[in-house]
Parts: sequence; C-alpha cells; structure tokens
Amino acid sequence: MSAETALPPDLENGPTDEELVASTLKGDLGAYDELIRRFQGRLYGVIYHLTSNHEDTNDLLMEVFDKAYRSLPTFRGQSSFYTWIYRIAINRSFNFLDKRKRRQGAMSLNDLDEDGLPKLDLPDISPQNDPNKSIMLNELQNKLNESMLKLSKEHRTVVTLFDIQGLAHAEIAKIMGCTEGTVRSRLHYAHKQLQKSLGFYLKK
Amino acid sequence: MTPQNEFNELQKLLRLKRLETPGREYFDRFVDAFHTYQRREILQEEPWYAKVVEVLFEPWVAGVPRLATVAASAACLLAGVAFFLGPIQSGPAQLADGKVAHPRGIVVASAQNDESLQIQPELIETAAGGNETELRPLYVNGHGAVAYDSRLAF
Repeated sequence: MSAETALPPDLENGPTDEELVASTLKGDLGAYDELIRRFQGRLYGVIYHLTSNHEDTNDLLMEVFDKAYRSLPTFRGQSSFYTWIYRIAINRSFNFLDKRKRRQGAMSLNDLDEDGLPKLDLPDISPQNDPNKSIMLNELQNKLNESMLKLSKEHRTVVTLFDIQGLAHAEIAKIMGCTEGTVRSRLHYAHKQLQKSLGFYLKK
Repeated sequence: MTPQNEFNELQKLLRLKRLETPGREYFDRFVDAFHTYQRREILQEEPWYAKVVEVLFEPWVAGVPRLATVAASAACLLAGVAFFLGPIQSGPAQLADGKVAHPRGIVVASAQNDESLQIQPELIETAAGGNETELRPLYVNGHGAVAYDSRLAF
C-alpha cells in the first residue's frame, strides 16, 4: 500500500473522533468501524516498528481495537481518543515484547520478518534504474532495522512516533505518559545510537 | 560528512520506513477481519483464571488503572490498616498467685500448677471489673484450661 492509505481521511468533512465515540456508545457500530479506518494505518505502523513482525502486528492490531471497544465505556474524554488508543497500542505491544523476551530469553531472528522487511504487498522503494544503489539501499534498510531492534522499547517508540510518524514532542509525551524533556532526551540518545551503528553507511 | 548531515540522512532513512506497511487491500479488508475476530473472541469463553492473570500482568489500561486493580489495592490498604490499628494482643501473663492474666482482661487458672487443673468457676473472674463470673471452662486438657465460654475465647 502507499503511505497515503495510512493517513486519516479528511476529518474536516466528517464527525470528530469524540463524536464517533459517542455514537459507538449509543450502539452505532458503524461509527466504530469508521474509527478503525481512521487509525488502522497509523497503529499498524507503530506496532510493526516495535515488533518487526507483520503477523504479530496483525494479531496485536486486532487485540488493540477489541480492547479499545470493550474499554470504550470507561473512556472519559480526559485525553483525546487518539492519545488513548495509541496508549493502548503501545501498552499492548510492550506487554507482547516482554512476553516474547521472557519466552525466548532474547528475540530470535525467526520472530522477525525476513530482512526486517514486510512480506505483504509492499511498494518497492528501491531505484529501478540503478542496481548498485538498490543493493546499497536494501543493505542500509536492513542495517537500520537491525539497529532499531538494538534500542530499548521506549527508545524505539519515540523514534517511531517522532521520526517515522511525525508526531510532535508534546503528543508523544502525552501518549507515553512522560514529560517532553524525557521524550527529547530519549530521542537524542536513540539518534546517537542509530548514528553510531549506521555511521559507515551514512558517510557514503 | 558533518554530524548534521549524517543526522539528516538518518532522518530521511527513518522516514522511508513509513512505506513498510501492507497494501491497500489489507486495510480494505481489515474491518471485516476485525468483525470476524470479535465474533470468535465472544464465542471463546475465557476461563476465570485467565482474567486474574491478565489483571496481574496488565493492571493498567491506557494509563488508567483497571477497576479490579483499584478494588484489590483498596482491599489491601484496608487490610493493612486493620492489621496495624487492630487491638494489640500479647501473650497471657503469669500472676504471682498462680493465675494467668489474659490480654482480654480475664484471669484464669494457671497451667503451671497442679491445683489449677481443678478449675472452679469461682477462679474465673474478670480483671476489668473484678466481678466474679460463673463462666465454666468448656474443657480442660492435661496442662490446663484450653478454652472457655466463647465470649472468653483467646
């Protein structure tokens, strides 16, 4: 799929998330389907960049929407639905990663998709007309995925939310339940680590 | 390459990861797949202990404590308060006349001397008021009184 499908539809013309939540609570299941469509792409991205496995991401995404649906009556609107569902996704992913770690002591490469890249129908981002550049880019992507996996889950989350998803520091702080300072410090550390691991490739 | 340039390259590379997502078809089918998942989940009854394990390992949902977590914490807190503020009970004290002073204020026959084995109702008196009572021991073992009237249980 293209990145565009991961983005939310034009919200100006439709009901807000909170209005959809209210409709869902009144029994309009179609409203919840609309919320799923709005968030499925972004939540998929967050979970995938934490787990590096598409099957696990698919299962976790189902769990997240199911958990959110069941917990909707407890949603009091103190934070936005967007922050709330992101928190559920991150908590679920963290629990999953902890379980995986306990189960195997350390993460096995078998848990990850081959080359850290998705097996599903993804666009080929490598330049078609330059095979050398294509090989280089693939190698760089592999190295980046490898380096991302070496980061702690908290550091990987801030990198995912800031660098990949483009969220602001304040939004990330709300989602992760920490201060903006903590987010900045984690980002700084994570960038340093990634630059250190990828230094050779970035210099080329 | 300067560190700033390296950083910019890294950010470009990270932005490319946005493309690591399944195709449109996957998302088009996702809502239907979710409905199937929900129906399956509803049909699969969880055993009671699975809920306990879930609460133990995931006491918070989206940063908000579960109702079960709040209830369990409140119960633990109340139990703790009750434990620390409850009446302090010490062991029975041996009195000079061979009687035993029970913390609840009851003076009963001593287990130490043989005479006390022949417990008479008149030996049992309340220390608090000093009034004699006619409470009889319910049973006596070889070493002394074991239990008395339920009101005097210790």
